[in-house]
Amino acid sequence: MIREMKSDRELVLAVRFAGEGAFESISGKRASAGSRTIGQAAAQFCEIDYDVVYKACKTATGSHSEAIERLMENLPAATVKRIPKVHSLTQISELFEQLRKISSRIAKQEFLQKIWSGMSGNEIKFFIRMLSQGSLRIGFETKSIEAAISDAWHRELQQVRYAHMITGSLGETAVMARAGTLNEAVFRLFHPLSFMLAAPLEIPVAVPLENYVAEEKFDGMRAQVHADGKVIRLYSRDKNDITSSFPDLTQFFTSKEMPPTVLDGEICVYIDGKIQPFQQLQKRMGLKKPGKKILSDSPALFIAYDLLYTQGRPVFDLPLNERRVLLENQALKYHLPVSKQFRIYSENELEQSFEKALLHGNEGLMLKLETSRYEYGQRRKSWLKVKKPGGSIDTIVMYAHAGSGKRGGTYSDFTLGVRVSEDERYEEEFIPIGKAYGGYSDEELRKMNRRIKELTVEKYGPTLGLLPGLVVEIEFDDIVMNRRTKAGYTLRFPRFRTIRWDLRPEDVNTLRDVELLYRQKTEKAGLSNADHHSFFIPSANHFLS
Amino acid sequence: MFRIEKTGHHGLYFPDLGIALDGSHPDAAATFVSHAHADHIPYNRKVTVHATPATLDLMKERGFRGKELPVDFGRKLTLEKAEVTLWPAGHILGSAMISIESNAGSLLYTGDYRTPPSPVSEGFDSPESADFLITEATFGLPIYKWKSHDQLAEEVRLFATDALRDGYTPIFLGYNLGKAQEIMHMLAPLDREIMIHGAGYKLCKVYNKYGFHLGNYSAYDREQCEGKLLVAPSSALSSGFASNVKRKRIAYCSGWAADESRRSQLSADALIPLSDHLDFFELIRFCKKIQPRKVMITHTPNPDVVQHYLTLEGLESEGLHFQIRQED
Repeated sequence: MIREMKSDRELVLAVRFAGEGAFESISGKRASAGSRTIGQAAAQFCEIDYDVVYKACKTATGSHSEAIERLMENLPAATVKRIPKVHSLTQISELFEQLRKISSRIAKQEFLQKIWSGMSGNEIKFFIRMLSQGSLRIGFETKSIEAAISDAWHRELQQVRYAHMITGSLGETAVMARAGTLNEAVFRLFHPLSFMLAAPLEIPVAVPLENYVAEEKFDGMRAQVHADGKVIRLYSRDKNDITSSFPDLTQFFTSKEMPPTVLDGEICVYIDGKIQPFQQLQKRMGLKKPGKKILSDSPALFIAYDLLYTQGRPVFDLPLNERRVLLENQALKYHLPVSKQFRIYSENELEQSFEKALLHGNEGLMLKLETSRYEYGQRRKSWLKVKKPGGSIDTIVMYAHAGSGKRGGTYSDFTLGVRVSEDERYEEEFIPIGKAYGGYSDEELRKMNRRIKELTVEKYGPTLGLLPGLVVEIEFDDIVMNRRTKAGYTLRFPRFRTIRWDLRPEDVNTLRDVELLYRQKTEKAGLSNADHHSFFIPSANHFLS
Repeated sequence: MFRIEKTGHHGLYFPDLGIALDGSHPDAAATFVSHAHADHIPYNRKVTVHATPATLDLMKERGFRGKELPVDFGRKLTLEKAEVTLWPAGHILGSAMISIESNAGSLLYTGDYRTPPSPVSEGFDSPESADFLITEATFGLPIYKWKSHDQLAEEVRLFATDALRDGYTPIFLGYNLGKAQEIMHMLAPLDREIMIHGAGYKLCKVYNKYGFHLGNYSAYDREQCEGKLLVAPSSALSSGFASNVKRKRIAYCSGWAADESRRSQLSADALIPLSDHLDFFELIRFCKKIQPRKVMITHTPNPDVVQHYLTLEGLESEGLHFQIRQED
């Protein structure tokens, strides 16, 4: 089908809509219509009650877009308002552009309602999925699109993937594949590269430690800095342009006036020689234009640990140790903070270094294979991370969700709750704090499923509602504030530690406990960097020591 | 007003009338079973049961050993404190709605029902009105609206003929009782051999006895099943059903198939939203028709939504929590 697209423009849009969303991932453009805005607009269009009816439909399907599709098709109030017409790819793209430029929620909702009146329920569903830059959920993701591009014009899949990684754009890749110019794909500044990711280190260690270098793992936000003289751009891990959120870092790099450079590293809040807990950085993460006060209260620092582009050439294909030399040279010349590297030879040393890293206020350790290239977009064993769980709490299993794939046929995903029965802010006994998917053995899963059967009070498609009776201890990396949830907090990477058959529902941790943990975390301060130098600004001295 | 108690995991008991529905109770003078699905049959297999003849026949095939008191549709049964009439519920063969008239007024208990009815049931009929209505609301959200039976039958037949044309064996997954027979009834016009999973096979004979044509079928035979139209419950696949057939296509037939999330949970080639319950819109319409003083809603985690719409229609209602669904 993509072979039949007449113009390059149509080809670009076709692969973008299928694989990236309404806007090119690297464009930084977003429609910024949240699910609440969309849901309310749809409820109004269908003339149904948002809180009573819409939310229940959303919960039952587990998806806003699907609920909306079906309400649009089923409710007479919605069908009489719609006369579906044919939209070209270009027209759809223009609608996204127009929507992006609208700022107020009400105006956005009015615009959505206007354009939905010309769409079928199915089109509305996919329109919403593209709008949220999400998957179309048709089992055809980036990898399938790369394969389709490779098939359509008989190009090497490897070459297609490479071009996609380099350009960051499926559209551009497809156009090059058609024109036969994939080999001309070059890395360009201000097009973020997919980040190289780390796999968890398994204990006992099964990799030859002598081939790895270690760094302490900073508890911040991963970022890529693109710099060319006074032009600076910062990109987050999902390749969003976050430059405007960090004017202090932009200013820092502008003042350096570096030749074309791309750095990979971590943004942290740094005060009085100490890296501050992640929670303090979190306050800045959502702010598009931070004010003076927050900039002085929570100043940001970028610690580089990799170099991808320098002196006008890409270096991500060089082995890590060579990139490191180039990075240190550049850091020395421009006084850039870089991570400290050291060696670990035994599991014993690993443990000691890990404890030290925690003491320093860092998150854990990174181990990096010295001979590895920068494997953009991949999570292999070239980079390994060692992290300590942020904490653990006892929770109640509130809902069980049927698993898919390997876990099909059993209930393997769980919504977990904390207790609020004595909390005057809530009427419920328990409220959700997170969802956990893994960390249990097959045997534990079987036992839990048996218990779940006894506790089930309601069944709704793939979801079971349970009476409070199953207590599980979960581990998580961190607690973050999240105003959109009922609890006001969410856990990062929650997973099972153990089923607590010995505990009763009244033993479950309360929301107050979670709030206390959160406060303790935000108040936790590590040691001053001056005492341990988990990062440093190279000077001639450092290379002597 | 009737006092209503829960009995066992699944049933209702009316202490003032001595009547139990879809469950047994030690004090019950009479026990009625609306239909032969496992979650509506009393745990106690030896209890004396009032039900339609077809329901009793199906129950016996599924292990019921108690005393049978057959009640035909439309015949008013006079008990000590009430008069009871069974109405065809359109859900599966023999399925009945149960209407109870007493000094406290009239009550209609729907059991599981479907209107328009399943073509392999005795149809659908109900009293004109009732003072109280206890209704199931399995699909009690406006996201559930079924296609017509003819459309779904066409989908089922097309899935079968496409698969056979491409050299694949089609397998239809549906509950053993009711769904399986409806699928077979849909497939019958194709005039191809059908093979049905053993547990469902016995029940087909009961359907034949009551005059329903289910096509040219035989019991599942692993060695002979390739190239036939196969019908089985979804649990059969994981226990090796047709595992020797390499080229097969699977269609999952259930009201829940309307949910996209099912697609990722089942490795089915097609999801056909064929339900043996009525949809949301039919539910609201039925409540309006009966105009009860109060509607009591069961079989849904969202009685609020049905209640909300009934309120808009000027009907009083409340959620009645007493049981869970096992299988659509």
